[in-house]
Amino acid sequence: METILTHHHPKPVDPNATSVVEIKDLYKSFGSNDVLRGFNLNLKKGENLVVLGKSGSGKSVLIKCMVGLLSPDKGIVEVFGKNIPKLDRDELDHIRVKIGFLFQSSALYDSMTVRENLEFPLRRHWISKTREEVDELVLEALDNVGLKDAIDLMPSELSGGMRKRIGLARTLILKPDIILYDEPTTGLDPITSREISNLIVDIQHKYNTSSIIITHDMACAKIVSNRVIILLNGIKFIEGTYDELNNSTDPQIKPFFE
Amino acid sequence: MPKKSVQAFKEFLLEVGGISDFTIRFFREGFKPRYEWAEFGRQCFIIGYKTLPLVGVTAFIMGLVLTVQSRPTLEEFGAESYLPAMVALSVIREIGPVITALICAGKIGSSIGAELGSMKVTEQIDAMEVSGTNPFKYLVVTRVAACTLMLPLLVIIADLISLYAAYIGVNIKDVVSVDLFFSQVFNSLVFGDVLPALIKTYFFGFAIGIIGCYKGYNSMKGTEGVGIAANSAVVVSSLLVFILDLIAVQIAEIMGLT
Repeated sequence: METILTHHHPKPVDPNATSVVEIKDLYKSFGSNDVLRGFNLNLKKGENLVVLGKSGSGKSVLIKCMVGLLSPDKGIVEVFGKNIPKLDRDELDHIRVKIGFLFQSSALYDSMTVRENLEFPLRRHWISKTREEVDELVLEALDNVGLKDAIDLMPSELSGGMRKRIGLARTLILKPDIILYDEPTTGLDPITSREISNLIVDIQHKYNTSSIIITHDMACAKIVSNRVIILLNGIKFIEGTYDELNNSTDPQIKPFFE
Repeated sequence: MPKKSVQAFKEFLLEVGGISDFTIRFFREGFKPRYEWAEFGRQCFIIGYKTLPLVGVTAFIMGLVLTVQSRPTLEEFGAESYLPAMVALSVIREIGPVITALICAGKIGSSIGAELGSMKVTEQIDAMEVSGTNPFKYLVVTRVAACTLMLPLLVIIADLISLYAAYIGVNIKDVVSVDLFFSQVFNSLVFGDVLPALIKTYFFGFAIGIIGCYKGYNSMKGTEGVGIAANSAVVVSSLLVFILDLIAVQIAEIMGLT
């Protein structure tokens, strides 16, 4: 079983890599509140893309549209060339297996142990797996996040950082091609935040995953990003590397980096 | 009509529409594979077996009190020999099903409402959805089906316990053998007493399950919403039990079963 080694920088993206996610002209509103107003984005294979924005700017709405948890009012959300809003339930479930989603609250099933939490997505899709194979996958996922000893604990017995790690292990167990992180470091102390950020980079190195990381934690953005997008007023305001945006003199960008 | 009343009526209609939609979805999705047998079995255990002690104790007290309280009135008319028959008819036709359903509405309805409500606000239902599992099938269909199946069984057991308690109640003042008591009980009962009473319990179970799930599955406003979901699940399902009981009596009368 291979344990993840700590990498300190995200893996460079192949300039010729194909796009795995294409969002074009995305609109989403809730009542009179226009959250997304023609948002565009593309994510390349193996890339870590950070989306920065103020609270309530529609960052989480954006990734929820990508997995079909929310339906956009208008626009195209293509994942692996399939327009998510147009898919039926079966097609959507098929695509969802390839997309991991780490929720802000970790969303562990609190009536199940850590082992059962990790087995849950496995049993849905790989019903033909033997007990030994399932055990091996569970242990591998826990090993990836350094929490093999927590296998029989209940979610209520875990700390905030541990819950995030277990949530990540549950996301990893289906070996997704794309991982969507919804504020992975929110509510954690700086040390644990850095550990989670390093873990995101390690996962990219090990599995060559493409990830969208929604955050307003600049330390996390600095560690994990190949590219950063700033979401402002419902549109992509600017994009670039972390350093490029950090050096910007634009009065609307500067506050994010101060 | 004052504005508030119009608004309340609008909300009532929306609620009825929401519950109807939810029920239609149950029938649409409930009969399509994949079937969640393991979860269905677990829910049958929780709803049936774990509710049995409460139902049993209540049924025992109900049978005993009914017998003891009825005796003086029957004695006044010199009709104390009709005590077993009177108690049996009351328990089997009305009190057993309704009281058991109300206990279940309190215990099961609130627990389903709170459980699904808390899963909703902590994004556990969304996590299930993005892992490619249909949460409606896994959470709602299994719980409603288990409620529908378990409630009649609980009522049958409650009826038997009540009758046994009635036998004890009769023997407080008289000495009546088990054989004599139960032969009087069964001689007083006809097909039309037992069958409609049993059939209506399936509807009671279905109503408790569907309302508990509807309230929990659609809960909002964070932790406050969980409390509201649990509370309104009990209130609405209890009310629905009485309404269904009224309808069942009318139908039984039209069909000449009373």
